[in-house]
Amino acid sequence: MSLLELLGLSKQFGGLAAVNNCNLRIEAGEIHALIGPNGAGKTTLINLIAGTLPPSRGQLRFQGENITHLPAHQRVHRGLARTFQITNLFKNYTVRTNLELAVQARAGSSFRFWQPVAQEKHLTEAALAVAEQVGLAGRFERVVGQLSHGEQRQLEVGLALASRPKLLLLDEPMAGLGAEESERMVALIAQLAQHHTILLVEHDMGAVFRLARRISVLVYGQVIASGSPAEIRANPEVHKAYLGDEGGAE
Amino acid sequence: MRWIFPTVLLGLLLAFPPIAAAMGLEFYQGLLTKIMIFALAASSLNLILGYGGMVSFGHAAYFGLGAYTVAILMREGVTSGWVIWAVAVGLSALLALLIGAISLRTRGIYFIMITLAFAQMIYYLVVSFKQYGGEDGLRARRPEFGLFELNDTTLYYLTLGVLLAALYLLYRLVHSRFGRVLQAIRENEARALALGYPVFHFQLVAFVLAGALAGLAGVLMAHYTQYASPNLLAWQQSGHLMMMVILGGVGQFWGGVLGALVLSLVEEILQDLTIHWQLGVGLILLFIVLFAPKGLAGLMRRGS
Repeated sequence: MSLLELLGLSKQFGGLAAVNNCNLRIEAGEIHALIGPNGAGKTTLINLIAGTLPPSRGQLRFQGENITHLPAHQRVHRGLARTFQITNLFKNYTVRTNLELAVQARAGSSFRFWQPVAQEKHLTEAALAVAEQVGLAGRFERVVGQLSHGEQRQLEVGLALASRPKLLLLDEPMAGLGAEESERMVALIAQLAQHHTILLVEHDMGAVFRLARRISVLVYGQVIASGSPAEIRANPEVHKAYLGDEGGAE
Repeated sequence: MRWIFPTVLLGLLLAFPPIAAAMGLEFYQGLLTKIMIFALAASSLNLILGYGGMVSFGHAAYFGLGAYTVAILMREGVTSGWVIWAVAVGLSALLALLIGAISLRTRGIYFIMITLAFAQMIYYLVVSFKQYGGEDGLRARRPEFGLFELNDTTLYYLTLGVLLAALYLLYRLVHSRFGRVLQAIRENEARALALGYPVFHFQLVAFVLAGALAGLAGVLMAHYTQYASPNLLAWQQSGHLMMMVILGGVGQFWGGVLGALVLSLVEEILQDLTIHWQLGVGLILLFIVLFAPKGLAGLMRRGS
């Protein structure tokens, strides 16, 4: 049984099929990269999986269960967590509060109206543990708006990680990062992959071919190829549709 | 040290009625009662507007419903104050649940318009009941509380007690898990959802609680004026409460109290000076919005 299965998944925006009859399997334990030219529907696909958008047709199965109509917040509790392509954080809050909020979402009910949340030490401890994991322990009390772009991207991953997901959906984690920051992010993802299944949407082909065990290629909302990095590199259709355009990445 | 100021203030508030009576300043006891009632209503609005980021332009609906519940029940022969309070708060919460469940499916300007539209519907509904006074409003006699007789002075203390209890409740609330999530949703709704929070439920619970507290403020207002006026339900009343929150400080804990205090005093003073008093109020609001977006509470915090 695959961890996540997309069965004939489609999303129409008016006359445009952003995702068109898409079939995909993510196996537990792998880093599965999703690549494709701009406008291929990668982010739409992430939104469909995370539940931010309802699909027009098709089915989503997570751990064998049909989650097609499950609301987004319940999918997080089942073990699906995402990051955003465009950094999406609580900008006016500290790293600590950001992570505590993420931890709180999974640690017991948040419909508690009386006890001061600031006294819940276990939230802080769990938040600090995540900060250490993503390399932000030294920035714990900083307001997010003051962090560098690279650090914000790390926190973006941290927020998803704090929900202890079974499947991490990373939407272009390298977007806008410099060479050094990208290196750090690749190392972080490689490290996370030891304990998490990851669906990685990324434009940085160097990173994709280093990290991914399997790669699927999305073009015009359809998966045109799926296989090991070597198979994808050798696939003439992929070259024509995508890799060729970038002058043969790598 | 930080307890000295609140303790002195509370002492003054407790000692005020006998002092006022001795000096013939009963008018100011009434004014203080009214200010405390508005402080309660404005603080309830601040919970959803300030902490929740839900710009409700229909808060008068609950305020007015509370007042009309007193007037109508007294007229229909229900004279127990406790029963009237329970019914009024329950009805306000129920109305907030209905309005919230529909309005919270919209965002931004649509949310403002739909809450306004619901409040206007309630206004016209109430005014259309000729047996309950129509546009003239309805007399609201003071009910019986058993333990004490409700007069101007006991009402003053009752209002003070209710306000303090409500502020304590709100203080606990905004510092709780729930309060933190509510504010996080205001900061970034998409992210809160992606973290796994059922955004709609958090907003709805806050909306209902704010409606219930506003209903209670309306009850006290009916006890104060002994009259349920359609003005309490009108959109101007919603705007009035909103002005208090903006003046006092949106999302600042003391915002509702400070706004109610200062706006009421400014209105009293300017009304004595000129018939164009609303112009003065407008200028003050303009100044606050331009130069102190966190309101008077924000200014005081920066000063201290």
